Amino acid sequence: MSPSTTRIVPFGISLGMIARYAVLLIGLSVTLLPFVYVLVSSLKTPAEIIRVPPSFFPKDATLQNYLTIFADPRVPVATFFANSTLVAVGRVLITLFTSSLAGYIFARYEFSGKNLMFGVLMAQIMIPFQMIMIPLYLILVQLQLIDTLWGLILPAMIDAFGIFLMRQFIEGIPRELIDAGRMDGASEFQIYARLILPQLRAPLASLGIFTFMATWNDYLWPLIVITTHEKRTLPLLLTWYSNAHGSRPALTMAASVIVLLPIVLIYILFQRQIVANAATTGFK
Amino acid sequence: MGQRGQLQRTQQRFAYSIMTPIMLYLMLFSLIPMIWAVVLGFFDYSPVRLGSGLFGLGGDNPFVALDNYIAMFGDTQAAHLFRTSLRNTFLFSFLVLPLNLAITLPLAIIIERSHARAKGFFRAVYFLPTVTSAVAVALIWGAIYSPQAGLLSSIIRSVGMTPPKAWLTDPQAIFMGIPIAMIALIVAHLWQDFGYNLVIFIAALQGIPANLREAAMVDGANESQMFWLVTLPLLRPTMLFVCVMTLLSSLQMFILAQVMTAGGPREQTTTILMSIYQNAFRFQNMGWAAAMSFVLFLIIFTFTMIQFRVLKTDWEY
Repeated sequence: MSPSTTRIVPFGISLGMIARYAVLLIGLSVTLLPFVYVLVSSLKTPAEIIRVPPSFFPKDATLQNYLTIFADPRVPVATFFANSTLVAVGRVLITLFTSSLAGYIFARYEFSGKNLMFGVLMAQIMIPFQMIMIPLYLILVQLQLIDTLWGLILPAMIDAFGIFLMRQFIEGIPRELIDAGRMDGASEFQIYARLILPQLRAPLASLGIFTFMATWNDYLWPLIVITTHEKRTLPLLLTWYSNAHGSRPALTMAASVIVLLPIVLIYILFQRQIVANAATTGFK
Repeated sequence: MGQRGQLQRTQQRFAYSIMTPIMLYLMLFSLIPMIWAVVLGFFDYSPVRLGSGLFGLGGDNPFVALDNYIAMFGDTQAAHLFRTSLRNTFLFSFLVLPLNLAITLPLAIIIERSHARAKGFFRAVYFLPTVTSAVAVALIWGAIYSPQAGLLSSIIRSVGMTPPKAWLTDPQAIFMGIPIAMIALIVAHLWQDFGYNLVIFIAALQGIPANLREAAMVDGANESQMFWLVTLPLLRPTMLFVCVMTLLSSLQMFILAQVMTAGGPREQTTTILMSIYQNAFRFQNMGWAAAMSFVLFLIIFTFTMIQFRVLKTDWEY
């Protein structure tokens, strides 16, 4: 028995523990309430959502808002979805390739200028995006990539943080593996592709999930680069029903659910890994 | 010996063949933009004017030396908006940081002491808002703050009080000197962001060796002494990281204000990044915007350095 004075019952339940769980449950409801709210609101009719006094749960739940959005010719959701997916998958694949390859070079090769290059790379982490976004835009204008999905991918092909992460991980892979590959006459690139890459499953998954989410949720850069309606990504769809085109709260809520759903599903699937990433690497 | 030299040459060639394009890429998409951004701040540059010389800097996009920076202290409308947005950004950041710590640190301690299963569950749920799209968050909270039919107003009515006429659009609505719209943004931001610092604190708490706590317990330390004298000092490196990252992101706040309030009412929630975005991409006034973004860069840099000085720790456990 612990000498704690708050222990009141023999089941190992103390007052302190009850208080702690009460706090956790309050936090839980505050965290989940907005998600529940958007879901139930998206099922209300346009009339019910603005009714005063409001009801929390819909009286006659309807999927009409979703049908309206998917049928709205001004808002090609499928196109937005495809654009978002294309940009996100493109950025993930490119980032994984460049990060693992450069990480491998930094971890296992000696060449002059290596430390300088690594320094340059790390300095790049310190530059806030807002500082370079104007020149970046002007460069894309020169390259005639404004208003293209390439304009969303091209400036994000090298991820200094990803390279750093991969280097850390590859330093833990035994050198013998590489030496054995050389004995067998594998080229340097084959060693990377056949021996190193398969060892990197865990960090590649982490970096991939992180890059996907960041790209999926990106708003400011697509807002700057994309001007044609059909080339927009999903976050830009969201504001369609809320400001410039008259406030349509029921549709806005349904659109929010459409954008949130994929990311929440990915989160539920990879939750353990995502949280562990944030805790250990400081990913944001 | 000869074979070894051969191998080394092959390896070097491979390393350079990969690193050269990467370095060229970084030059084009990081280094040149960085220098260009600083240079732009010394010009009255707009992409709608042709200009002359390198990158159109010159001609009708003239060099104006420090004029953009001097204008920040002037009496023009643009200067007033710049100073207002700077004030708003500071107000936002310096309220978010302590509030965030006041929520995340105690919550992390509570979660850390829960049973393993509960720990994983609460951590996972609390982290959920951080992975969601900020635009969706802005729209959901916009609906919560909706004046008549919104969730917040109806909660307030249900406990018998009268909610204000508007949460986000009334410039007269002020609480303790802080615009209500700003408070509304801070609450939404805290909701989305707190899970991030929470998991970092939980990880750090798990890293504190149990024998240190036990030693303090043997010495007769009570709960609050334990927190202030053992836990908190050991969390210093984590605290540094969390403070830097939190301040960094809140100084660059954009999406919530852009979508929820559009900077209103009466510029009460216009942030510095919104001001930069509007000037650069709406008004095409990029010289002025570049000067503002350099000021924001200096602010971020200074705060990061200050925090490193204040929270620096040179002992380990």
